[in-house]
Order: sequence, then C-alpha cells, then structure tokens
Amino acid sequence: MQRIVKVWTGLLALLLLAACAAPVAAPGGEQAAGEPASGGVTISFWTRDSNQAQVRSLVDAWNASHENQIEITVIPASEYMTKVGASVGAGAPPDLMAVDLIYVPQFAAANQLTDITDLAKGLSYFDKLSPSHVRLATYDGKIFGLPFNAEGSYLIYNKGLFEQAGLDPENPPKTWGEIADAAAKIRALGEDIYGFYFSGACAGCNAFTFAPLIWANGGDVLSEDGTVATLADPSVAGALALYSQMWADGLIPPGAQADTGTDFANAFTTGKIGMAGTGAFAINNIKTNFPEIDFGATFLPGQEGGASSFAGGDSIAIPAGSKYPQEAFEFIQWATSEEVQLEYYAKLNNLPVRTDLAENEYFAQDSRLTTAAEAMAIGRTPYSIVYNQLFNDANGPWLKMIQTAVFDGKVEEAVNTAQEEFTKILAGQ
Amino acid sequence: MAAVFTPTKAARRGMGTLSQRRMVAGFLFVLPAVLFTVAMFIFPLLMTGWMSLHNWPLLGQATFLGIQNYVAMVQDSQFWASLWFTTQYTLLVTPPIFILAFLLALLVNSALRGIGIFRTIYFIPVVIGLGTSSLLWVWLLNDRVGILNGILLDLGWIQQPVIWLVDKNLAMTAIVVSIVWKTVGFSMILLLAGMQAVPDELYQAAEVDGASYWQRLWYILLPLLRSTFALALVLSVIGSYLAFDQFYIMTRGGPQNQTITAVYWIFNNSFTYYKLGYGAALSIGLLVILGLLSVLQLRVLRDDTTY
Repeated sequence: MQRIVKVWTGLLALLLLAACAAPVAAPGGEQAAGEPASGGVTISFWTRDSNQAQVRSLVDAWNASHENQIEITVIPASEYMTKVGASVGAGAPPDLMAVDLIYVPQFAAANQLTDITDLAKGLSYFDKLSPSHVRLATYDGKIFGLPFNAEGSYLIYNKGLFEQAGLDPENPPKTWGEIADAAAKIRALGEDIYGFYFSGACAGCNAFTFAPLIWANGGDVLSEDGTVATLADPSVAGALALYSQMWADGLIPPGAQADTGTDFANAFTTGKIGMAGTGAFAINNIKTNFPEIDFGATFLPGQEGGASSFAGGDSIAIPAGSKYPQEAFEFIQWATSEEVQLEYYAKLNNLPVRTDLAENEYFAQDSRLTTAAEAMAIGRTPYSIVYNQLFNDANGPWLKMIQTAVFDGKVEEAVNTAQEEFTKILAGQ
Repeated sequence: MAAVFTPTKAARRGMGTLSQRRMVAGFLFVLPAVLFTVAMFIFPLLMTGWMSLHNWPLLGQATFLGIQNYVAMVQDSQFWASLWFTTQYTLLVTPPIFILAFLLALLVNSALRGIGIFRTIYFIPVVIGLGTSSLLWVWLLNDRVGILNGILLDLGWIQQPVIWLVDKNLAMTAIVVSIVWKTVGFSMILLLAGMQAVPDELYQAAEVDGASYWQRLWYILLPLLRSTFALALVLSVIGSYLAFDQFYIMTRGGPQNQTITAVYWIFNNSFTYYKLGYGAALSIGLLVILGLLSVLQLRVLRDDTTY
C-alpha cells in the first residue's frame, strides 16, 4: 500500500514539474548555408509568430547574400509586448524588431525607439510606402519605423453561393443595403447556409473588419491625432445597425456570438458563409487548402458606396539601445527595395508594403490579391498610444459596444456608453 | 593559557567538531532548496511588493507612488466584483470536485487486479495543461463541429445546437464541468493517499465488533481523513481562486464581462493596460486574502485525532 502511495507521490511530483515548465520560445532562425561570413556582425531581430514563414524566407535570403547576419527570434504575438517590455527593462533590447503597427506610437511615446527620420526620408520611394504604417510610425514629427509587413481588410464572398442565390458573382455588394440584401438571399438557400459572418467575441477582429465600414462612410472612431473619441458620429450607429439587423434577421450563424477569434479564418472556409470581412492572409490559405471554394474579394463599403480598409501588419523599428542601428537600417532598406518587395513579398502572395507595387506581374494573375493590396493602400488605422486598451481588450469598450448593439439590439445605448468609456481611457493616458 | 587555546581554535577552524560538521553538511543539503525558494519565490515576491509601490508602465520609467495603488485597489469596483465572482465560482466548483473525488477514491481504493488502469484513467486529465484542455472544450462545445452538440442533437434532447459560451449560466456550467473533469483526479489521489494511510487494524477491529460498511466509512474513515481533506480543500480552493486560463480561453471574460476572475483582472491591468505596478498591488492583495482563507480552512479542519 505504502509503495503505491510513494509511486503516486513521485509521479505527482514529476507532473507538477512538467506543468511548471513554461512553453519555450520558438528556436531562432537557421543559419544560412555555411559559416556566417567573417567580419560581419550578428544582428538580433525579433518578430511575432503570425507571419514567421514570410520573415524566415526573407531573412534567409538576406543572410545568404550579406556579410552581416541576422538572427531571428520568433515570439508568440500575444506575448510580444510583454517580452519586449521586459527586455527593454533589463537593458537588453534586440537590435531590430518587427512590431504590430498599432503599438509603434506607444513605443515611440515611451522613448524606446531610434529616430530614423533622416534615413527614412532619404529613401527615393519614401512617399510610396504604406501611408498608414508611416502615419503610425510618426510621433512628434519624427519617424520611428517603416512598414515591414502589410495587411488590408476587405470583404470576401463566396461566388458559388452568390450564383445559387441568383446574385451576380462578378458584381459584389457596394453598399450596406446590398450587403444585407445579398445576405438575406444567400440565407434562403438552406438551413445551414448563412449570409454573413463576423467573430462576435473578438475585439481585434472587429477593429480589422468592422471599423472600415465606418471609415468608408466618412466617419471615424478617433480624431486624427488620436486624443478624442468620435463614436457619436452617425456612421458608427449606422454600421452597428447594419450588423444588428442582419443578426436579428438570422442571417449570421448563432455561433458567431461566442467566437473569440478561433473561427475568424475558418468560418468562411466551410463554404456555407456568403460574406465575411477578412485579410490578405485568407487568399493564400483558401487557394491552397480549400481549392473547391470559388471566392471573390471586394472593398468594405459605406452606406451609399465608398470603400475603406484597416491597414494592418507590422512596422520594423530599431529599439533605443540597439547595438547595430546602422546595420539594422541596411536591412530595412533592403527589405523595402523594389526587387525584394516583388521577389519575396508579391511572388509569395504577400502584400508589398509599397503602394506603387500593388499592381505587379505576380498579382496580375489573381485580381483578389490586387484588391487586397489596393485596400491596404486606401486603408486607415486608429492612432493611439492606448490602442490595446481601447480596441484590442476582449473586455474593453470597443467589443462591448459591438456586442450590446448587435446581440442586444441597443445601438444607441451601446454607442453612448462606448463614447463615455473611450473618453475616460483617453483622459487617463 | 593562550598557548593551550590556540591549537584548539586552529583545529576547530580546520575541521570543527562533529556536531558543527553535521550542521554544515545539513546546511549544504538544504542549500539547493533554499536557493531555489529564494530565487523562485522570495525574490519575485519582494520584487512584486516593490513594484506595487510604483507607477510601473511596461515601457518607460517607473515612478514611486507609495501606497497609492492600494488606495486605488480599495476603490476599484471591478476588482471587488471579480473577487466576488471568483468566490461564487469557487463555491460552485468545489463541492462537485470533492464529492466526485471521494467517490472515485473509494472506488479505486482496492487491491483488485488492474485497478491501476482505472486510477490512471481518472488521473489523465490532470496531466493535460489547463490551457490545452480549455481549448479542447471550446471545440467540444462548438455549435457547428462540437461533439457535445452532435450527441445531444442525435439523442433528440435539443432541436438546435446550444451556444454554450454566450450565456452566463450555460458558460459557467460548461466551465465547471470542464474543470471538474480536469482536476478531480488530483483530489482523488490526495484522498486515496489519505485512505491508504489508515491502518488496516482499525477496520479489522471494527469488523470484529460487527460494524457495517457504512459505519466503518462514517466512524473510522471520514474522521481519519480530516487532515487529508484539509490539505486537499486548501489546494483546491487556492486553485479555484487563482482561476484564469479557463475563463481567458473559453469565455474571454464574457458574456458582457460577467466572468472576469480576480487573476483575469490582474492580467488585464498588467498586460492589456500595461499597468504593472497596479497589477502587482492587486496580486499582493489577492495573496493576503488567500493566506487568510487558507488559515481559516486549516483552523476549521484542524485534526487533533491521535491513533
């Protein structure tokens, strides 16, 4: 008997130990073939896991052709800010980092980035770089980062379902009314076929796919300088009313209400969803994994037309305290050059970060990629040093507004509360 | 005199008396544990206490605030609401864990061949990480592809898939079930260990006196399990009060922020709002509350039985 207890106690101790072992960060990038060239320096480069495949191929290409080597550390996106914050606190930041563009104002405001204004403006294609990235990388008139990875949100729609519902698959909705009409016609196709989808419990997803409806209609969520909440703008209530009506009419799957983002990319790939807001990443995924789905891409519209998009992705910046700022900028310059933008971005179905390259030989074969690239070019991004608290917080005012308006049908109350809470957070920053 | 003492002192410095050498050896033996505790517990605790006295942003300079964070904590209605919610959750999840764990322990407390297989089966969910198991349940409960809705639909018990995680009561039910499944094995093992420590002679004596199975259970086993219960209860209550993963992954604190636990609120302040100092103050507050609760439980369940 006692032996059994002992064995179990030992086993228990082992398990506790195993449970305590924290998940290990992804291993660093592989060295390029052969020894790193002698004489060069090794630049440490941090990036989040969301787009690691693209970054790895890019860095491998750089390492193969340059004396200075880059060593990547991939960090889970959700832990990125914490890790960077900790490393800065410990006085050991990376030499170079790619960071979600929405966080750049916050880094810059805390004096954590190297001012690269002169170097950036010296680039011949400076005014062709994604305007939203550059705007968010500008703080106090100075530039602290450049675009590294681009995403643009747009409306994806299932051409097969459009055709079945008697809609013209080559003429997608261009107004809110047309979205609702198309959704209703598609919903009528069958019990398990729905017209529209959005992740109802995911704050970030809706900044990405819902806010553009407001912008396309001429409204905004924050003032230009990011200090005043503008949710009382009628466009906000209007866009919420569109979702709310579609929800009340049963055009959106009931499960959408519980979706914290796990189904954001998957719902449409079931082939039973007529339309959804999504990003450029979806194009490659569906083409590769769900070739049976015939889909189109169009802009997210305003009430009576217009178009907008959430320009997302990563900026690349040099942390204050970088050991090799000069060398790090050489990589930035190389990565944004036309040749690399075409060969390592466009060719691999990634959006170029330059608006002058939205139309290119690789995207010419797939107009959907061009649509996504153009969406990014006209795209906007809220500028705020408390972005996370306002828009990304699963318990914050942005998601609460959408949930109250859409699922409880209380649009006016939702907008008023959110305006108050936004104002409170902005006042406390 | 000096001449007499000097060599002795030198000798002592060199090798020491037997008891001194034993003390040194003892110290060396506990040193790794002490170092580990200092590095992994004492130091972080002191650091947390220090941080809690500052406005400590994730990025940028920290500034000293004194006890201002604690004043803010007392006035933070969300913190107290979260603490109350966590208490409700603990009261809800603890009884099923204990009743089930006790029954399972009774079941597997036998010398039958192959009983180890059952012990292992009941214990397996404990081995799974809480994050992993929460994600597993998210998919089990999914309305389109979840097996739970599939089974209920096939049985004809429901007409439409149930969206578990959008209603507070349904979400709590789902989470309680998932946590009982996940942790019952741990309490079972603790209780089993306690049961096996009860000397067989007591049962045999009772049997000779004609005590029935239920009488032996009630008058011998339960009283002697008291201290084991106390330990298992303290561990389980602390675990429930520190609940985070399941709520973060399964409900995101929703619907409408109705399932935000105390640790969830600490996490939000630290890693969503980047107020590390305030998060540290909340952590210290929770630590004090948990300490008091544990003392209380151990008092109530104090075991003075000797046998």
